Amino acid sequence: MASRRRMLLKVIILGDSGVGKTSLMNQYVNRKFSNQYKATIGADFLTKEVQFDDRLFTLQIWDTAGQERFQSLGVAFYRGADCCVLVYDVNVMKSFDSLNNWREEFLIQASPPDPENFPFVVLGNKIDVDGGNSRVVSEKKAKTWCASKGNIPYFETSAKDGFNVEAAFECIAKNALKNEPEEDPYLPETIDMTGGQQQRSSGCEC
Amino acid sequence: MQETDLHDLSDDADYAASIQQGSASVMMTRSGSGKQSSSSEPEGAEIVYSKDNVAIHPTQFASENIAGRLKLIKQGNSLFMTWIPYKGQNSNARLSERDRNLYTIRAVPFSDVRSIRRHTPAFGWPYVIVVLSSGLAYPPLYFYNGGVKEFLATIKQHAFVVRSLEDANVFLVNDFQSPLQRTLSSLELPGAAASVPNGLSLALSSNESQSYGNLDRTGGAISDGTSSFSQNHGRQRHKSNDPARDLSIHVLEKFSLVTKFARDTTSQLFRENHGNGFGGLERKSYSHESVDIPRKASKDEEKIIDEHPVPPDPIEKLLDKKHDLGEEAATNVGTFELINFKEFDKKTLVWGKPRQPPLGYEEWATFLDFEGRVVDSNALKKRIFYGGVDHTLRKEVWPFLLGYHDYDSTYAEREYLKATKKLEYETVKRQWQSISSEQARRFTKFRERKGLIDKDVVRTDRSFSFFDGDDNPNVNMLRDILLTFSFYNFDLGYCQGMSDFLSPILYVMEDESESFWCFVALMERLGPNFNRDQNGMHSQLFALSKLVELLDSPLHNYFKQNDCLNYFFCFRWVLIQFKREFDYDKTMCLWEVLWTHYLSEHMHLYVCVAILKRYRHKIIGENMDFDTLLKFINELSGHIDLDPIIRDAEALCICAGEHGAASIPPGTPPSLPVENENGSLYVQEDEVL
Repeated sequence: MASRRRMLLKVIILGDSGVGKTSLMNQYVNRKFSNQYKATIGADFLTKEVQFDDRLFTLQIWDTAGQERFQSLGVAFYRGADCCVLVYDVNVMKSFDSLNNWREEFLIQASPPDPENFPFVVLGNKIDVDGGNSRVVSEKKAKTWCASKGNIPYFETSAKDGFNVEAAFECIAKNALKNEPEEDPYLPETIDMTGGQQQRSSGCEC
Repeated sequence: MQETDLHDLSDDADYAASIQQGSASVMMTRSGSGKQSSSSEPEGAEIVYSKDNVAIHPTQFASENIAGRLKLIKQGNSLFMTWIPYKGQNSNARLSERDRNLYTIRAVPFSDVRSIRRHTPAFGWPYVIVVLSSGLAYPPLYFYNGGVKEFLATIKQHAFVVRSLEDANVFLVNDFQSPLQRTLSSLELPGAAASVPNGLSLALSSNESQSYGNLDRTGGAISDGTSSFSQNHGRQRHKSNDPARDLSIHVLEKFSLVTKFARDTTSQLFRENHGNGFGGLERKSYSHESVDIPRKASKDEEKIIDEHPVPPDPIEKLLDKKHDLGEEAATNVGTFELINFKEFDKKTLVWGKPRQPPLGYEEWATFLDFEGRVVDSNALKKRIFYGGVDHTLRKEVWPFLLGYHDYDSTYAEREYLKATKKLEYETVKRQWQSISSEQARRFTKFRERKGLIDKDVVRTDRSFSFFDGDDNPNVNMLRDILLTFSFYNFDLGYCQGMSDFLSPILYVMEDESESFWCFVALMERLGPNFNRDQNGMHSQLFALSKLVELLDSPLHNYFKQNDCLNYFFCFRWVLIQFKREFDYDKTMCLWEVLWTHYLSEHMHLYVCVAILKRYRHKIIGENMDFDTLLKFINELSGHIDLDPIIRDAEALCICAGEHGAASIPPGTPPSLPVENENGSLYVQEDEVL
């Protein structure tokens, strides 16, 4: 039981309605994109096996409803999370402004033992839209915010064409693993970053 | 340790007094009368508050209200709340001892209470809702003689209570957390139950104390040896019964009526009715089906069951029993099948009836008088309940089911209504249409609301031909109606899930204004699903847990042991009434069945129970935890066979009978909010604390 528990890494994706949470999850797990996703009601999750060194982990990625009104459900879904992914749409200022609220709400509801050091990762999604011309949140602005919240790793992604999604989730998994209370005396130092693209991210410090 | 006897008060002089008083007059004005008899309370326990004529309203019928005495009892540093219904109350003659037991609150410690919400309606009695840290809530307690203020003030003296920053009528108990925490709604984890300090309170609180049946053992095991509390608790429980046994008795009683009826009738029709679809064979085969199919459904279940023994379904046992008896009746008397279908119907079937073909035009005409009034709305509802409506007729029938049209309206009145409502719709619509972009720039709420709706309409049923393709005018209409609704009911606004409800309505009504008003009517009942505090969802999921407890206590116990009592895994089912679980056509069939409110307003909850019971072997056999269960339920989407589920739900609803109805707190959507017909008699005495 204990070993099974250690193998599961739980990740929660949060962010305003329509920023692409479901799409990101599906792009990462199934390498598929559809523009026919329905608004998520309640919550759902997908799992993916990931390998670090010689160890296999199950990444359990939770996708939640984005409307504020459903936040009170979070209590049931956030508990035991190992990493929280905050997503905004680079074309919608409000979705960026909401990040702070999502972060705080998560910390309240999940009440992790060490909130100061709980791992978050921020994703600025939909960078493909209109060739970047409709963008309203600059990379600099996003990175500044991330830095102010304890150097949260930041990635710019496109769930539609899959850009940077793999790299982002590798970082997410790595951070989730760091958060797991590990019984082993040492953490795996290196991570298989096959195909990881880091050029547009402040990324993981690995 | 004191010999406490806080919950079993049947031999308590004080309790006896309350019984007498209760039978004398319910409405007799007395308050604070409990204090004089506090000497009869156990040593070390002090009654710090006692109020007579505090009642719960299990149904909307005033005659079924249950009055009792509410007390706050202080023992050491702990404060407990009890509510004991009066015995032998005139107005409650119909209610059995068990009904009372179901609701009795036996010494719940305030350490297990999360919040108390006070309601002081302008008309009607004030009431409070006590929410436990487990997230479960007791039914509203109505203070017929006032005293809410005193009640809250007393609690304040003996426990840590703060007023919610969000809502002045919410009082948070034991809330030592940050102000932000206080803004969270009362929806909470049952996980909290695990953190209850000791077995004693676990056994006494968390609402299961009201229940009966298998929990006796559970309760006993948990609290074994912890104190005399639990023993008394157990003793009290003995008075209540095993739900399965009770249901069997309940059903068998009804069955005996049927049998008697059969015996009293001559046997001439036996062979004629043999093959008419409603005969005994049909019922028999259905009973087989319902018992066997869940097991056959998955072949690997057999070996799973070896690993995790699955307790039998009490209802299945019941059906088996009845099935046996059915055969017996047929062989001994030979007349079981001859009962005229209509007659039999009244005697209550345990099996759901076979589905009938949908209501068509010709038959519909027979329900109307020459001016277009529905002559017998109950007959119509019943007909639709068992067969649904032909699609081409939906446009005409749905406005009745939704409450937009009155059943006794004439053709002419409906035409007139359509015209006036169209004007009214246009007026509301213009309210947002007239907002210029300059104005919108300074109107954040509007922009956000519109943004949310814009995002959702383009992902609502787009694979369905009516809404597919670029620049589909129906998608725009969907947006316009939702935006207009968010102005019509500005407080409720827009919430995700609304577009799921509106989409089939628009598809059926094919008219913007008519769709809008049908949607408005639907939201009158289901609006609470989308409330900011999620209260409507909370109360439905709570009622669902009570129904499962009643209809499948082993499954309930399984959920309890696995921290699944919040029923969040059914959230999507309840929020949008299974819209995402069935294809478009089936959803419309199900909705019109639910909207008839025939048998129960809460048929959707019985549908939930029916689906859960279909898969109980898999759920328990595979030892699913909360996550696995949620995933499993989500993935059932598109794989549920609707007709058998409706039949199961009907059977469960009939089986549960008034116990089922009593398990659902008043005001649970889609019931309209609780209002009291005697409201004007009450003069409100409580002011804001």
